[in-house]
Amino acid sequence: METSGEEEHAAFEERVRRTVYFENLSPVVTEPVLKSALEQFLTVKNVIFIPNYIGPSNCGQCALVELESPKRVREIVSMAKQHPFMISGMPRPVRARQAEPEMFEERPAKPGSKITCRWLEPGDPDFEVAKELKQLTRKHAAEAAFLAKLQQQEEEKLAKQQTDTLQGHYKKYKMIESIMADGTARRLARRYNFRVSDD
Amino acid sequence: MAETGQEETIEFKWGKRKGIGGKKKDVQFYKSFTYDGVEYDLYDSVYLYNEGEPEPYIGKLIKIWENADKSKKVKVLWFFRPCEILNFLGTNETCDNELFLAAGAGTGLANVNPLEAICGKCNVICISKDSRNRPPSDEEVETAEFVFSRFFDVGHRRILDKIDYDEIAGTEVKFLFNKLDSEKPAEVVKLGLDKKEINALESNEVVAPPSGQEKKEHVVEKADDHFADVLASENADLELSLSKQNSFLGAKPTLGVGVEEVLESNDGLQNLLGGKTEQQAKVKRSGVSKPSFIKEKPSRGQLDASTTRLELRETTKSHEGNISSDQTKMSKVDSKGGKHHVGADHVGQLKVERDVKSTKKNGVAESKLSKEAKLGDSSDISNDKDNNNGKKRRIICDNNEDDDDKNMKTLAPCIISSKDKCGMDVKSTMNKDGMMESKLSKKAKLGNSHKISTEKDNNNEKSPRLICDNNEDDKTLAPRVNFKRGKDSCDVEQGPSKKLKHDKKPILADGKFSKESPTASPSAERKLDCGVTEVTRRHDVDRSKWFRIPWEERMKNAHDQGRLVLFQNLSPSMTSKEVEDIVWHGFKESCTAKMMQATAFSSPHSGQAFVIFKTKAGAEMVIRKLDQGCLLLSNGRPLVAIIGHPCFPEKRPIFHGHLSIEQFRSQMQREMKDAVSTSHCSQSNNIEYDMAMEWCLLQERADLAWKRLYQRHGEELRKLKAKLKSK
Repeated sequence: METSGEEEHAAFEERVRRTVYFENLSPVVTEPVLKSALEQFLTVKNVIFIPNYIGPSNCGQCALVELESPKRVREIVSMAKQHPFMISGMPRPVRARQAEPEMFEERPAKPGSKITCRWLEPGDPDFEVAKELKQLTRKHAAEAAFLAKLQQQEEEKLAKQQTDTLQGHYKKYKMIESIMADGTARRLARRYNFRVSDD
Repeated sequence: MAETGQEETIEFKWGKRKGIGGKKKDVQFYKSFTYDGVEYDLYDSVYLYNEGEPEPYIGKLIKIWENADKSKKVKVLWFFRPCEILNFLGTNETCDNELFLAAGAGTGLANVNPLEAICGKCNVICISKDSRNRPPSDEEVETAEFVFSRFFDVGHRRILDKIDYDEIAGTEVKFLFNKLDSEKPAEVVKLGLDKKEINALESNEVVAPPSGQEKKEHVVEKADDHFADVLASENADLELSLSKQNSFLGAKPTLGVGVEEVLESNDGLQNLLGGKTEQQAKVKRSGVSKPSFIKEKPSRGQLDASTTRLELRETTKSHEGNISSDQTKMSKVDSKGGKHHVGADHVGQLKVERDVKSTKKNGVAESKLSKEAKLGDSSDISNDKDNNNGKKRRIICDNNEDDDDKNMKTLAPCIISSKDKCGMDVKSTMNKDGMMESKLSKKAKLGNSHKISTEKDNNNEKSPRLICDNNEDDKTLAPRVNFKRGKDSCDVEQGPSKKLKHDKKPILADGKFSKESPTASPSAERKLDCGVTEVTRRHDVDRSKWFRIPWEERMKNAHDQGRLVLFQNLSPSMTSKEVEDIVWHGFKESCTAKMMQATAFSSPHSGQAFVIFKTKAGAEMVIRKLDQGCLLLSNGRPLVAIIGHPCFPEKRPIFHGHLSIEQFRSQMQREMKDAVSTSHCSQSNNIEYDMAMEWCLLQERADLAWKRLYQRHGEELRKLKAKLKSK
């Protein structure tokens, strides 16, 4: 019993080590997309998307990708760091990290770990502390939620700004293209005595 | 079934065969099967998956078979939820978890389904007062997921309080009530105590020689196989004893007794069998406290445990007869054996009456008492008779020892096993009439012999006997234990072998186990209020993974019905199962929990889990209790619960940061579809790269922010936790 639990856990830890965690994935990314994106470099064993029930729903997907070995994980992580790696969209790159055990849905209990629980009586000296701890937990959760929201806003802002830039660039090129196409550029060049033809 | 493809990989194994049917004799019926790691027996209640419905159907398996084309089918007798027959309920009040069993004739009574539609076992307990039903224990009712006591006549469309006819959908009604072998946690406690009791009686522990142990294992297992096979058959009681005998006898040669004796004892067996039937008849006729009840349910409940135990003793008795014959004269054997059998019958009868009475009166606890009393009795008797004709016996034994150690080994156990017998017998004469007085003397003799062996401390007996004695005790214990355990058939099969593997102190080990197991010790649970309780595994609850109904859907339903709770401040490394266990320990509520998977930005200090409760009231109770009180988990974490508001993925989620030029969008999408891969590493010579860098910057900043936040959280928590007096 004991040993099998340990074995199971060891196997699980090994699996964790050769799994890479991706975030900032576009919602349109599906398992085959991710797989084909990564199989340019290495062999993918398994892809699991982490469902997001708690956070804001539009913060991008996360996925666990099981690779062949821990070495491959390091490779892909450093690759994604050096070059912005984009999947199904630009310019926001995806991010890769080493996976952690808590990210897995089905994980074996740590062998030897024991959980205890007890109800505290109102008279217990720890009761007040526990109450404070509960309060703190709630506060922390709220803070985390706020930070997540803030991050989201930042992302939104950046995205908007980039859209504007992009639109500006696009407009500019469009205009240049149109004046080149309809002869305005040549007319003006003649007027100002410029040479516009490519040399 | 939508997921046939997936189904292929799910573990499946047929269990016991039943018979062959169909027009071409190509349909194989079964009594049990294992599917997805869960063993199902005939007449089990199960959940059945049905597409598009949030709640699974519940039904009872009344037929299991495999067709010639290898398709696996089950015939299911349906349970109705009150909400399904709302229109016909009329003024009838229903409980939250009450079900109605389909009855009568018409559509909706039973259906044939593919076996793969089963998605889990369902714990349904019958609380009907019907005499054919085994009254459930409080524990059972408490832990049951559903209860039923009434029926819904699908033909006439009305509720029936009781069922008068003997068959529903071609199945005898008695099978539809509680099984005798349904889980009985309370029984386990009793078991533990009982064993300890015996252990105490057995004043010093002697290590049994391993070889003997092995043999015994063999015997017991064998017996058990037979036992399991015979189980469902109508006259299981009879056959049980027969198979027991057979296996026992079959194993005997391995114990070193001659073949002749086997033959002899076969004769004895015949006698015994006759006796057995007689006894059955007697019990029936006597009409004291429903003997039909016993007959009716030939499985392994507590009543039956007594009968089986009784049979066991009879077996050993017959052995005794035979072995003594071995030493003395052949001619004597028959007569002696015969008498013994008669005696055994009477004993058996008494015993049955007694047990039935006690169980009827006060259920589990009482029967334990009576058993203890019995044990006490037997030892008393042995004391009384110490000096009488014990000598004779001893001499015989001694002789035997000299002759052959092996023989001795077999003999001694038999004698000793008779201890219970004679104890009982004397008691019976005391309790009852003098009808069997004539037999008493013989029994007394046996009592003496037993006494001798139990009194090993005082007497300067030889060590071999001690060994045998111990062996014997083990032997009687093991079967008793496992019958009483009365769990699922698999358990029973495991029971003896496991016990014996424990080798030295199986008794202690098991006793401890039952104590530890949470539900087995109500007192320990009450302690929750004051002391720290270790959260151990819950014993019951369907462990089946009928997650085949997607979690998301279940969560959505639960959320709509207010049954969803979000737990915070769990240790992030906890598993979903552990959360379920905590809920069970803290609130006595069963639930389905799911730890939220961590992401790069989830707090390392507080794990979260969504928990679906059975009822809205249960969920609210938990939230209220956790709000007012404090449930301190290990590592100084008070549990926090709030009403769960999960975010569900939207149809078209917005994702910031992927830009495209409006005019080219349609074109781009087509390209994306055509492209083999839609990913690339950005090169540093275009605007995209610059933008990507901006994103990377933002990500780094966010990372830092999160890190700082959690660092601060950690410090705050540490400071506060330092104030906790207890850890």
